[in-house]
Amino acid sequence: MNRRTFLATGAAVSVAGCLGGNGGATPTATEMIDETASPTPSGERLENHAAGADLEAQPTLGPDPFEAEATIIAFEDPSCPRCAAFERNTVPKINSELVETGRGAFVFRGYPVIYPWGKPATQALEATYARDAEAFWALAAHYFENQSSFGDDNVLDKTRAFIADNTEIDADAVVADAEAKAYDEQVQLDLDAGEQAGAGRTTPSVYLFKNGRYRTKAAGSVSYSVIKNALGI
Amino acid sequence: MGRTVRLVLGIPGYAAFALIAGIVGLSVFVLTQNLTLVSDVIVGGSLPLSNRVTVLLGLYPFLGTSFSVVSGLALLLVAVLLGVDLAMVAYHVREHGLSLESGGGSAVGALLGTIGAGCAACGPALLVGLLSLVGAAGALTLLPFEGLELTGLAALALVLSIFWIADGMRGGMIRGCPVDLSG
Repeated sequence: MNRRTFLATGAAVSVAGCLGGNGGATPTATEMIDETASPTPSGERLENHAAGADLEAQPTLGPDPFEAEATIIAFEDPSCPRCAAFERNTVPKINSELVETGRGAFVFRGYPVIYPWGKPATQALEATYARDAEAFWALAAHYFENQSSFGDDNVLDKTRAFIADNTEIDADAVVADAEAKAYDEQVQLDLDAGEQAGAGRTTPSVYLFKNGRYRTKAAGSVSYSVIKNALGI
Repeated sequence: MGRTVRLVLGIPGYAAFALIAGIVGLSVFVLTQNLTLVSDVIVGGSLPLSNRVTVLLGLYPFLGTSFSVVSGLALLLVAVLLGVDLAMVAYHVREHGLSLESGGGSAVGALLGTIGAGCAACGPALLVGLLSLVGAAGALTLLPFEGLELTGLAALALVLSIFWIADGMRGGMIRGCPVDLSG
C-alpha cells in the first residue's frame, strides 16, 4: 500500500468512524456520547426524576435527600476503576463538606455495567444492605479499595470472607442470596432508574440536585470542586 | 522530520496556531464527554462566571480528577501531536500552495493525511477518554490496557501524518533553510 492509498483509506475509514458508522458490536464514540446526554430538563423535582425512583429505599448518607440543600445520586459499579477514583478522591470530601455538616445527602445506586464481576458484587451489596446499612458501606468501600484483587472467580468468596471478618451479619446468607439473586428486583430497579435517567453505560454517573430540583449530571470521576460549583453551594 | 517540525514551529504564527489547535483538540476530547454538564452549567444556567470557569477547568486532565495520570498524559500527547500536525498542514498549504509536487508529496495528500489522521486521532481519543471516564465499557473492556491502545494508534496516525507532510515539503525551503528528512 503506497502512502496515498494509506492516506485515502485512513481518511475514509476515519471519517466513517467520526460520523458514527458502526458495523460491529463495539459502540462508537458518538453512541457513547449520546448515551451520556440527560433526557431530563434542568429544574425537575427530585421525586419526579428518574434518578430518584424509589429513593427512600436506597443507601443514603446524610439528611433526607428530599429536604437537603444538595443531593448527590451516584450510579456506580463496584468493578469500575473510575468509580474507585471517585470514591477515593471525591466522596470523602462530599462526606466531610456536605454529609457531616447536614447540608447534603449522598445516595449510592448500584449500576453494574462494566466488568462482569460487578454484577454478583452488586447482588451481594443489595443482600448486605437489606441486613445492615453499615455493613453495606463497609463492603462497598472494600470493593473499591481492593478492586484489582476481584474477579469473576473469587468475588463471592472474598465477599464472604470480608463480611465474616468485619461485620456482624451472616456472611453465608448474604452470599447465598447473591448467588440466588434474591434481591435482583432492587438491582433491576437501579439499572432501570439509571437507564431512564440517561446514564447509559457510563459510571460513575452523578446526578446533582439542589433544594430538591435537578441541576445537572456529571459523567465520570469528577472532583468535589466540580460538584460544588455546579451546584452553586 | 524533527528538523522540519522545528523550522515550522519556529515561526511564531505557526507555533501559536499549533498551540491553539492543540488546546481546541484537547477541549473537544474532554468536553464532549460531559455534554450535559457543559450545557446545563458552563453554557446554560445562571451560575456566576467563576463557578462556570471552575467547572470547566475541573474537567481537564490534571486540573480535575476525571482522568488517571496515564490517560491524562495520553490525551495531552494526542492533543500536542494534533496541534503540530495541523500547523504543518497550514504551513504546507499556505506557504507552498496547493500545487506543490516536490518530493512526491502534494497538498491534497497532506490534507487527506490530516483528515485521516485527525479523525483517527479524535475518534480513538474520544473513545479512550470515555474509557478512562467509565473505567471501561462493553466489549472494549477486553482491551488489556482499557483503551490506551487506541490512543497509541491515534498518536501513531498523527506521527505518520506529520512525517508525510514533512516528506511533502522535501526540496522546499522553510525560513530560507532547505528541508530534508534527515534531521
